[in-house]
Amino acid sequence: MELQIERVGKRYSGDKWALREFSLKMGPGILGLLGPNGAGKTTLMSIIATITRPTEGTLHWNGAELAKDPNAIRTVLGYLPQDFGVYPNLNAVEFLEYLAAVKGLDATAARRRIEELLDLVNLSDVRKRPLGSYSGGMKQRIGIAQALLNDPQLLIVDEPTAGLDPEERVRFRNLLSELSGERIVILSTHIVSDVEATATDIALISQGSLVAHASPEELLGMVEGKVWEWVLPSAELPAARQSYLISNTMHRADGIHARVVAQSPPPQAAPVPPTLEDAYLFCMSRHRAGATI
Amino acid sequence: MNSLHILYQMARADFLERVRRYSFLVTLAFAVYLGYSAYSGQVVLRLGDYRGVYNTAWLSALMTLVTTTFLSLVGFYVVRNSVDRDQQTGVGRILAATPMTRLSYTAAKVASNFAVLSAMVLVLMAAAIIMQLTKGEGAVRIGALMAPFLFVVLPAMAVVAAMAILFETAPILRSGAGNIIYFFVWTALLVAPVQASLPDMAGIGAFMNSMEQTVKAIDPAWKRSFSLSLGSGDFGAAPSRTVLWQGLHWDAQMLLGRILWLGVAVGLTALAAVFFHRFDPAYERSRKRQEARDNTTVAETTQLSSAAAPVHLTPLPAQARRSRFGRLVICELRLMLKGRRWWWYAVMAGLIVASAAVADANGRAGVLAAALLWPVLVWSQLGTRENRFDTGALMFSSPEPLRKQLPAMLTAGILFTAAVAAGPAVRDLMAGDWGAIAAWTVGVLFIPTLALALGVWSGTSKTFEAIYTVWWYVGVVNHIRGLDFIGTMPPSRAPLLFFVLTLALAAAAFAGRRARLAYA
Repeated sequence: MELQIERVGKRYSGDKWALREFSLKMGPGILGLLGPNGAGKTTLMSIIATITRPTEGTLHWNGAELAKDPNAIRTVLGYLPQDFGVYPNLNAVEFLEYLAAVKGLDATAARRRIEELLDLVNLSDVRKRPLGSYSGGMKQRIGIAQALLNDPQLLIVDEPTAGLDPEERVRFRNLLSELSGERIVILSTHIVSDVEATATDIALISQGSLVAHASPEELLGMVEGKVWEWVLPSAELPAARQSYLISNTMHRADGIHARVVAQSPPPQAAPVPPTLEDAYLFCMSRHRAGATI
Repeated sequence: MNSLHILYQMARADFLERVRRYSFLVTLAFAVYLGYSAYSGQVVLRLGDYRGVYNTAWLSALMTLVTTTFLSLVGFYVVRNSVDRDQQTGVGRILAATPMTRLSYTAAKVASNFAVLSAMVLVLMAAAIIMQLTKGEGAVRIGALMAPFLFVVLPAMAVVAAMAILFETAPILRSGAGNIIYFFVWTALLVAPVQASLPDMAGIGAFMNSMEQTVKAIDPAWKRSFSLSLGSGDFGAAPSRTVLWQGLHWDAQMLLGRILWLGVAVGLTALAAVFFHRFDPAYERSRKRQEARDNTTVAETTQLSSAAAPVHLTPLPAQARRSRFGRLVICELRLMLKGRRWWWYAVMAGLIVASAAVADANGRAGVLAAALLWPVLVWSQLGTRENRFDTGALMFSSPEPLRKQLPAMLTAGILFTAAVAAGPAVRDLMAGDWGAIAAWTVGVLFIPTLALALGVWSGTSKTFEAIYTVWWYVGVVNHIRGLDFIGTMPPSRAPLLFFVLTLALAAAAFAGRRARLAYA
């Protein structure tokens, strides 16, 4: 099972490239796609999901080229877009039955699968209510259910935890971890903690380019010995921000506890274990400065 | 002053948002087409065998009547999306949270509608000037050319602009049914005041009376006749006789009649403000959905299972991935018919039964015509749902969006249409009337294919609702051959023509959907 993206680019109107020279090879596991808003994550997701055709480059799913055989990927794809709608007059079961038919699933098997999925996303109690009456979080859970309808080998989820409450978010992370064994999961988000909890691989993307592709451990290794906790008076914080990359601040009785990512420590700063967020900020700042990661 | 500034900025933003859309070019193209039709003699204003000498007064009257009659219908459908766009884009909720009053909102929207319609009017005014310069039989008199546009067209466009906002805010009118209702309102607005000798919105009565008096003066035996038609014919070829008409005399009574219509526009704007509920979600739902929402409160309090609880899904067996076209068609049918109230089905069933039971052929044709109007809002969903409900990403990332999903949608539409029109078909089959069966079959294929093609290309249900209603009225109700797509009466049947048209529409629908997809 392999998804190969080779030198893919997408140009929108004029000379605006949302994605440029993007290459990546993926096998089973969860790939966390991290990047700021407007980095090109959703464009990449749309290209892999066959919604958008790339301007340049090729994609292969298990050797089949997407441009020649898009159904090779569509038949094994589960896709949760960032923004999607539902048919408001259908209830949850009817909507999922409809999408199961669209995805080419046998009716009996689909019915069993829908029951399981509605249990999984905790919508069994409201399964007969029209979707038009659902809250944003409930619609998001319907979206998750539809993405898993066909037991996909390739699962693409774009900002999946948006609209979920904290408990559902944890539950969704668990679900992703359980599903990841024999399939490729691409989790696109700008929430680092979602990726930290689940991803086996991380791709950092910025301004349409791949900044880094590494395991979480490798990314953490990049900032090992470069993260410091610095206690300083709150009045000095603005000046400190000018000089250092500060990933977090906390107000304490003795002043501001600032988390600093830097090659050499600020005065009286103590080393602390790095987090993925530190690594993300470090890589992005290096990329913006034009340095190679 | 501040209120006027707010009004101006709101109308300006709405107008700019519209004119920067591709659809505005299509709108202007329609105005150019109308202008060209008049220029090339496709639009004929005649009084029996008479037409006016092509002086400024006559050409200006011709373009004025073209604008107030045709543009008051098409223009309504063009501009009736202003409030809806604010709803769809979410801008409406932002505006609703400002001190903006309901009246200032509807007034700004009417002003924006009026500006869009005026842009189309300008195109037609330019066409009048070009006609005068190239085909005219007299010198150009700018004042005489401008006056009908100023006094007749602009008040009429103000009414259409306000009507469009009312049809976006008032209950029932704001639904898809509003597109159909407007057609009948438009017909009444054109005809009723003229028959009652009252000042009419389009100014037909004023022009007609003045022109008739001129003809009567030179030909006392002339039999009263006045028509404005969109048809073929070379410019100046027919009618055979000419009359010199010098234009309307703009006296106080006439101007008062036009001001009256401006007053109607203001009244409609105020009425729209009464119905406008500032994008309150509670008013956006139908009663049925409101009931469902009430239930949701219970649903949302449902306790979630523990976050730590293990999750498990049974793997889907390989044989479960068997594509069934029939299953997809059934699902499409369910999607088409879901969400209607019980009385909708009751009326539909009643019409189907009546169209089989009525013995008289004329009566049966009438019931069939009614049966073919009742489900307009069902057909108009075809090809537009992905846009309307934002499900495109889900649908188009699934297998075979072109070779299976679209044919399944069309098949469901055809099956539904066959059921709707089943009544007369049963009788025709029993009578062995194969001509009627052929016309019926083609009609059943034609309606959903037209809906699908228009839906796919325009992305909105409004296009089909507007075009179909007019087509239905002219072709099916009046049994006009070449327009009666289902052949309600033997002389109006043209199955071959509509079969070819159906094939072309099907090809257009597939091409339109293909263009929307990254991959077929």
